[in-house]
Amino acid sequence: MKTSRIYAMVLRYFYYFRQSLDRMSDAFYWPVMDLLLWGLTGSYFKKMSGGNSTIMIMIISGILFWIIVWRGQYEITVNLLEELWNKNLINLFGSPLNLDEWMVSVIIIGLIKAFLSLSFALVLAFFLYKYNFFVYGFSLIPFILCLIMTGWWVGFLVAGLILRGGTRIQTLAWAAVAVISPFSAIYYPLSVLPLWAQKIASFIPTSYIFEGARLVLAQGYLDWHKILISFLLNIVYLVLAIVWLRKSFDKILRKGLVKLF
Amino acid sequence: MDILGVKNLTKKFQQFTAVDNISFNLREGEILGFLGPNGAGKTTTIQMLLGVLIPTSGEVNYFSKNFQNHREEILEQVNFSSTYTNLPWNLTVKENLNFMSCLYNIKNRKERINRIANIFRLNKLLNQQVEQLSSGQVTRVNLAKAFINFPKVLLLDEPTASLDPEIASYIRSFLKEQRENFQVSIIFTSHNMSEIEELCDRVIFINQGKIIADDRPQNLAKSIEICHIELNVADGLKRTIEICENSQTHYELSGRNIIIDVKEKEIPEFLRNLMSKGVYYDQISIEKPDLEDYFLQVAKKK
Repeated sequence: MKTSRIYAMVLRYFYYFRQSLDRMSDAFYWPVMDLLLWGLTGSYFKKMSGGNSTIMIMIISGILFWIIVWRGQYEITVNLLEELWNKNLINLFGSPLNLDEWMVSVIIIGLIKAFLSLSFALVLAFFLYKYNFFVYGFSLIPFILCLIMTGWWVGFLVAGLILRGGTRIQTLAWAAVAVISPFSAIYYPLSVLPLWAQKIASFIPTSYIFEGARLVLAQGYLDWHKILISFLLNIVYLVLAIVWLRKSFDKILRKGLVKLF
Repeated sequence: MDILGVKNLTKKFQQFTAVDNISFNLREGEILGFLGPNGAGKTTTIQMLLGVLIPTSGEVNYFSKNFQNHREEILEQVNFSSTYTNLPWNLTVKENLNFMSCLYNIKNRKERINRIANIFRLNKLLNQQVEQLSSGQVTRVNLAKAFINFPKVLLLDEPTASLDPEIASYIRSFLKEQRENFQVSIIFTSHNMSEIEELCDRVIFINQGKIIADDRPQNLAKSIEICHIELNVADGLKRTIEICENSQTHYELSGRNIIIDVKEKEIPEFLRNLMSKGVYYDQISIEKPDLEDYFLQVAKKK
């Protein structure tokens, strides 16, 4: 793995981000809209519940945490699509670039853009609602790590599907991660879900993180057990997703990358 | 010295064999023309040589190293330009060349980009997005990208297809210069036969996935025996037609102009025959076969 090639790909995606209105709006516009819509809804609930601010904090935390998951997967899938739309995959993989280097580059660009989106949303949340993200203290570190890992494995899983199915299934690049959101219990406790959904949620790593975050807020207690389960599930899924992506790439190399256009 | 060696390369797509057990080599500093009708297997072969398509069987070696085992090391010294790929249209020419030069780990990137932009006359286009360029300009950007890493082997799939004649001629001169000065080895596909004849040291003709000829362009043309004799007949057009029909010779008639296909060695006898039958013509031209005739003959057989 060569850093110059990883840097090249980060540069390529950064150049596009810099001048694409679509990408700018993805990074900044939608987080603003989410914060306005759900933040105001939270404010209303706070007023209704006699000034209890926990519900407001939970909703805004949910939005901010979900930005991390979303950005992680989005950068992987949409950047892959970008190469398909541009018919650029042969230029890339006809060069010394290998799949591992490409994966690392989209992870890095995902981290950079998650940082940018999150920072922007944090400042906005502070000014609009006096929300302090750092109320979670050091527990933020394992939370963010687990959330971004979820973004990666969902991203690699969908990237593998797109490599096999081409642009006709490109909608998955935006929609796939939404499948796990109801089971992640972002804005509500897991107990709200029906029993069958709770069983599914027990296999979704993000459900442990959002539950854990609520526990920190309600009781000031960090449940390391939940974080460990989330981390282990993420590791398993990440390994499986990488294997899947590699197999999908190998399969398309047998058909010919040009068949994807 | 062989820079590239291809041995028993085969690519099957289920029941269809796109490339059928082909073997060839590319010598240092050689320009090898890769010819064949559409669907013959040229692009499939080039894709396998780039590693973007895995062969069903066979072996590719660059610089005496197995391509599969030394992919990255080899591709640092190889580049290509092709009609079936684009550079990102939403990036500027300079951004494209910059990230590509990083991909090939080029030192002094700025200097290299300016030099290559100068060669391909892209200086004024550097800050324009690729989507704003004409197809000829895009072709030049693709060629600039192909030369960004000082390649030892270049795979060029119809590189002059959308260029105006002046630029195409300039690019051909540049390719010859690169071969002479830096011993760059080039595989070149084109449907412009005169371009192939001008540029290539050797031509491989591929049809239905098989190599059917591997020779100098002049030798391939010579393998066609039929010449075209064009006559403007002043007197004896009917007799000329009779002679053609009696000898079952193919001809095409247009007014008093007749084009007759005659084997090169039979031309003197044919002309003597016309004279003996009292045929008079005031214009004659004899067109010797060229690479295009060879191409057409093979395409017809297909």
